[in-house]
Amino acid sequence: MPKYKDMVQPARASEKEMKKLHIDLTPDDQKCEKALQYLDEMRKKFRSFVTAMESCVKCGACAENCHTYLGTKDPNNIPTNRAELIRKIYKRYFTLEGRWFGKLVGAEDISLDVIEEWYSYFYQCSECRRCARSCPFGIDTCEVTFVGRQILHWLGITPRLHANTGGAMENTGNHMNLPRPGIVDTLEFLADDILDEFGVEVNFPVDKPDSDIIYIPSSADFALNPYTLMGAGLFFTYIGANWTIPSKVTEAGNFGFLFDQRFTQRHNVMRLLDAAQELGAKKIVWGECGHGWRAAKMYVPTMADRPVHWPITHIHDEVAHYIRTNQLKLDPSRNDHPTTLHDPCNYARACDLQENLRTVVKACVSDFREMTPNKDWTFCCGGGSGILFDDPEMYQRRIQLSAKKAELVRATGVGANGNGYLCAPCSICKAQLYPMVEEHNLGVEVKGLIDLVGKALVF
Amino acid sequence: MSYFIMQILPYITLVVFTFGVLFRLGRWAGSRIVHNITLAPFPQRNSQVLGIFAAEVIFFRSLFSSDRPLWAGAWLMHMALFGAIGGHLVGIYFLGKQFVYLGMSEHLSEQMSALLGTSAGLALLAGLVYLLIRRLTVQKVKEVTGTSDYLQLVLLLAIVVVGNIMRLFEHDLGIAYAPAKDYVAHLLMLKPLPMDHLAITTPFFVLHLLFVQILLMVFPFSKLMHVFGMFANRWIINRVYKDPASGLPNVDIAAARQAGIGVPSGEGGV
Ligand code: HEM
Ligand code: SF4
Ligand code: SF4
Ligand code: SF4
Repeated sequence: MPKYKDMVQPARASEKEMKKLHIDLTPDDQKCEKALQYLDEMRKKFRSFVTAMESCVKCGACAENCHTYLGTKDPNNIPTNRAELIRKIYKRYFTLEGRWFGKLVGAEDISLDVIEEWYSYFYQCSECRRCARSCPFGIDTCEVTFVGRQILHWLGITPRLHANTGGAMENTGNHMNLPRPGIVDTLEFLADDILDEFGVEVNFPVDKPDSDIIYIPSSADFALNPYTLMGAGLFFTYIGANWTIPSKVTEAGNFGFLFDQRFTQRHNVMRLLDAAQELGAKKIVWGECGHGWRAAKMYVPTMADRPVHWPITHIHDEVAHYIRTNQLKLDPSRNDHPTTLHDPCNYARACDLQENLRTVVKACVSDFREMTPNKDWTFCCGGGSGILFDDPEMYQRRIQLSAKKAELVRATGVGANGNGYLCAPCSICKAQLYPMVEEHNLGVEVKGLIDLVGKALVF
Repeated sequence: MSYFIMQILPYITLVVFTFGVLFRLGRWAGSRIVHNITLAPFPQRNSQVLGIFAAEVIFFRSLFSSDRPLWAGAWLMHMALFGAIGGHLVGIYFLGKQFVYLGMSEHLSEQMSALLGTSAGLALLAGLVYLLIRRLTVQKVKEVTGTSDYLQLVLLLAIVVVGNIMRLFEHDLGIAYAPAKDYVAHLLMLKPLPMDHLAITTPFFVLHLLFVQILLMVFPFSKLMHVFGMFANRWIINRVYKDPASGLPNVDIAAARQAGIGVPSGEGGV
């Protein structure tokens, strides 16, 4: 499928896959009417969406601040034009000027084609919020993408990747559909690896009652980023923590945040609170996942159906704290590769983690080089919001979407001798960058940040 | 016609503008800030939030970083616009003698007022022309521009051009402060003007007011709402956020290292 009238689109979830998310497909002849109904509901609820609809001056400042437009030169990838895909409908049905003057003010009737446009372009946005940072009014096109994806989801239009990932979460408590025995096995295996490679005895307790700390790893770490889990294990062992990994939520991410900010996202949140309560935790510590950390730090308080009794911090908040108080002995010469840091947008723009990341990385590597722009002006890796599609057209798109980041990494010079490290402490960034550093020939290896901590810790 | 534009339309404009804006703002207020989407770096105190608002309103700070060429034109245009709006209020109220309070003579003050007004008018014109040219030539801006975006710029330009003509050719085509003030006073007191009043018989003044009133009536139904939108939006994305304290419960690193946790018995560490 993945092309509709010249637009790239990700493969869709089937009727059966959507059923698992408790959604029935909407028949074509009802889609327009339903879309308007859902849009009406959204606009009455979210002020951030309404102000994005009603106060943009079309100045174009956001255009070249969005990596999707830079990488594709597709006008619909300009943030305000992405928003315009909904705005033209919003104007037509929900504003006086749109009803009276129609085309003159850019209003348009809804049609199936418009809905297909939404599907294409809201799934090229990585919800990275660089548009919000650059807009003179702070208009946040990410909020419009949220609304667009939610409406599409309710219509039964969701990428297969997102639907299955969300479904797996309900099934097992993680995105990779890993059952508890698999988790325990992998952790034992990793403990052996650590002993071989680092000569340290690390124990990964699962569901240990009366743990002070529950650690929420990204499930991708079990399969794709083992050194991230190993790094976390080394850190908790080093500080002598009474910690555990809850099998109920072995997932720092929350794909619900990306396509269904109602049931799917809330379900994950409630699993977390249940686990914290059952295990008697005093604090929840989050693993490396950009969107997941945003969903946890900024959304758990407003998503939870019960009071949240546990402070939630990121593992790098904690590592940075112990580095600043001089309690960790770290040997940067163990990571003697030219290293640059990719600020995951969700950390740097949505969660204010950028300074702590620097505290940590500078203490762990011997040759650190800043990328510019960085921190709250960081560019996304191009995979954000889980648009890690593998179908050939979409994969080509991903290469284009990562072009800006590739240019910035190259400019740091860390890969000049082919032995650079690109530190990207986010699971989606990693999944996007592993292939992208090859596609763009950057001469760097992608690393998590806690990976580097684990390696540098002197026991 | 002039009579309608000068004596009746202003009340209609006032009603449309006021209720239009209230209607829009009311709709915004009806929706909620559902989740916390404050943008990093997070302000820690309300004074910092105020600083962000001020820097954005006075200097267009984000725009300065994100699109410098646009910033140059937009900032010039808006500062001149604020100057011109302020100048209208002060100049007409004090009849150009406002600078007397700063120690100038009446004559000098009138000249000063005229000079500032003319400069603001010309700067405004330059800014608007720059923005229009930009819209017509820069690819990315062309791609986001719709018909109404051009029309609004043209309307503002029309207001400014007519205003500048009245300034530059004041004796032939313009109008002095005194009759303008008299006109405003009549409007406010709901008193009809005599038909031979300068405010009605000066064609450019009538035209200027017609365009301004069109702008004000369009205002609530257009992107000009960005004036309020900017505050409404930043109210959502620039707010205080305090992180929970770091430091993990029951962790004593010194003791843990002393006890050699993780170090296999019989061997040294690495
Ligand atoms: C708090 C007050 C205001 C702020 C902070 C503000 C800020 C801005 C900014 C940052 C832009 C984008 C840059 C640009 O396209 O030029 C803009 C555009 C614009 N503003 Fe304002 N503005 C304010 C008040 C006004 C007022 C009172 C008017 C006129 C009645 C106005 C008319 C316009 C117009 C017409 C544009 C679009 C320019 C274009 O088409 O390129 N603004 N404003
Ligand atoms: S959130 Fe990021 S990808 Fe989406 S429109 Fe904004 S800048 Fe572009
Ligand atoms: S920068 Fe903001 S105001 Fe300008 S076009 Fe983009 S969204 Fe609209
Ligand atoms: S994948 Fe990484 S860089 Fe991209 S949006 Fe997420 S956090 Fe940002």
